[in-house]
Amino acid sequence: MAKKGWTRRRFIQAGLLTTGAAALGGFAKPTGLWAATPKIKGPIKVGYQAVMSGTLAGYGDFHKMGATLGMEEINAAGGIAGNKLEIEFRDSTLKTPEAIQNARYFVDSWGADFLAGVDSSGQALALAPVMAELDKVLMVTHAATEKLTEEQVFKNGVRQIFRICNATYQDGNAAAFVAKDLPAKTWATVSPKYEYGYTCWEMFKNTLGKLKKDVSFTAESWAPFGTTDFRPHINTIMDAKPDGLYSTEWAGELITFVKQANQAGLFEKIKHVMFPVGAAMDVLEGLGAEMPDNIWISGRYFFLYPNNSRNNEWVQRFRKRWDHFPAYVSETGYSTMFAFKKAVEASGSKETKAVIQALEGMQMDSPAGPRVFRKEDHQAMYDVPWGLTVADAKYPFKIMGKQVMVPAKECFNRPPFEGDASKPPF
Amino acid sequence: MTLESIVHVCLAGLSTGMFIWLVASGLTLIFGVLGVLNFAHGSFYMLGAYCCFTALSALGGNFWVGLLIGPILVCAAGFIIERFFLRYVYHLALPYQLLLTFAFVLLFDDLVKIIWGGGSLGSPSVPGLSGSVDILGRYFPTYNLFIIIVGPLVALGLWALIERTWYGRIIRAASSEREMAAAIGVPVPALFTSVFVFGTWLGAMGGALAVPYVGLLTPGMGESIIINAFVVAVIGGLGSLKGAFLGALIIGLLSSFGTRFLPAFDMFLTFILMAAVLLLRPQGFFGKAT
Repeated sequence: MAKKGWTRRRFIQAGLLTTGAAALGGFAKPTGLWAATPKIKGPIKVGYQAVMSGTLAGYGDFHKMGATLGMEEINAAGGIAGNKLEIEFRDSTLKTPEAIQNARYFVDSWGADFLAGVDSSGQALALAPVMAELDKVLMVTHAATEKLTEEQVFKNGVRQIFRICNATYQDGNAAAFVAKDLPAKTWATVSPKYEYGYTCWEMFKNTLGKLKKDVSFTAESWAPFGTTDFRPHINTIMDAKPDGLYSTEWAGELITFVKQANQAGLFEKIKHVMFPVGAAMDVLEGLGAEMPDNIWISGRYFFLYPNNSRNNEWVQRFRKRWDHFPAYVSETGYSTMFAFKKAVEASGSKETKAVIQALEGMQMDSPAGPRVFRKEDHQAMYDVPWGLTVADAKYPFKIMGKQVMVPAKECFNRPPFEGDASKPPF
Repeated sequence: MTLESIVHVCLAGLSTGMFIWLVASGLTLIFGVLGVLNFAHGSFYMLGAYCCFTALSALGGNFWVGLLIGPILVCAAGFIIERFFLRYVYHLALPYQLLLTFAFVLLFDDLVKIIWGGGSLGSPSVPGLSGSVDILGRYFPTYNLFIIIVGPLVALGLWALIERTWYGRIIRAASSEREMAAAIGVPVPALFTSVFVFGTWLGAMGGALAVPYVGLLTPGMGESIIINAFVVAVIGGLGSLKGAFLGALIIGLLSSFGTRFLPAFDMFLTFILMAAVLLLRPQGFFGKAT
């Protein structure tokens, strides 16, 4: 595979560069201080792919708003080490071959220094070996599968992959930490019929089963991608009569599910409902008053947390620029640009090896609060709350009230890493 | 297993089936009369939904007005496709018709993205039909009951139109003996255009009725339903409206019971059924053996 990346263009480039260097070498050899000073040649180019068509296209727009705002703020303040930041966006279409094609285009044809984005876990996993071959850093801003960091980065050593958003740990483990304090004894799920849905439910079951001995898991119904009629799935759950419902349906499909569950009276019968990705702005705005009260929701970031000036001012700037509340992918897209800035400036280089070194263990401040990139698996650790939906006269949609925080270092410690973050609590 | 559960699984299956029937009826009619397998039928469904949505938002949010106007707008697209494109490939082999109609699927998907954007649109509820009724202690949406009633009414109407009217008689004549019908003075090309536009209207109507049902409009929304509609048309016997109605009922119930009782196979059940029908009775339930 390594040969394939060596395209004709790169071959010619390399040829010209070596010839040029050889010709110049005799009389233009850098000496003294000049040779030692790291020099970053701009602009810094970031290739960003997100889903911009289909049911989930709303996500692409929110990615774009966040990343663009980050770029504008960085450039207004003098860029990255004096260099202009440039972003090109491409539609990932959620299809794996498209993701790989985009990555190759960005690096081989457009000359990207960094890549970012990616919504689907399947795409992210398929990109890992490609990133190792292209040897550029990919900052994942949405795809949540823990296999990306545990297997690809930690076990297989693909050091080029980082993830700034939180992983299935938040959707599975943290949900279980919240659920252990609820009176519900029996749990059921309606979740998407693919990798992400299965993993989250497994993780939720395992963790909750260990934290609380007397719970049982009584029904599961898997909805294929593109489901518009959840009624058969709702029937499965209603028949099982569980105390609690856990569902990792997301985006448009979660909207449809909630609407149809409302009609079936599901929320009147099942009192404890958890939507790990229910705090996404497209869902909250899309459902408006139709989102029932007292549903547990979370996400990768929620615009009302943390309640400090850093975050609140950012939300204000975002609203002023886009006339929207920032969705969680807006925050991760935005913070990605600042992570690149910090890593490039700290290492004095935009070369992949140096940037990886700078990013590993790097701490940064962000609207979502302080983040640390765990050295072992390149997963960003930061806190995101869970909370109960509640109406608020200030907003035309339900917000996350009664927030409960499960700190990242408690629910992110599943993988077999060395160091402080690796000790299991159970 | 309670009675409540069985009844609700049946109701869910019936409403799913009737939705597929509403879309498959137009597909089957067009194949039965014109002999064209129209891939773009799913696009008519999608356009019907979007046009209904736009008409109802433009005209003060009345769903019934949207339902009346939306599908009629889509008929214009059906007219253009038949009159200026399909008419020239009737005499060519089936793959040409498939390629042509598939091209329209791609065009319409992009058209929807250009006009309405790539994201999804939330749909409104229908006044008077937005609630739920209590059936054996579990709620079932009134709107889905409405669909369960509309489906057979459409079937009855189509049957009456084709079997009991003058228009139906010349349709039957033209579809079985095209040249003879032309020779005795039936304006076959115009008749075919009218049937295609009517089939378009049926597909678009299915889409418009789906607006409050799926709760969300997305580009490409026709794709999942068109696969089911094709399956239904095939197992019913290509061109047989009776077969399509029966096929839709079976597919709807099969998917509802499958999801409830055989969740591991629910995605395959439809195709297992299709394979079985094609093996045992290749012409479908009511198809003519060739």
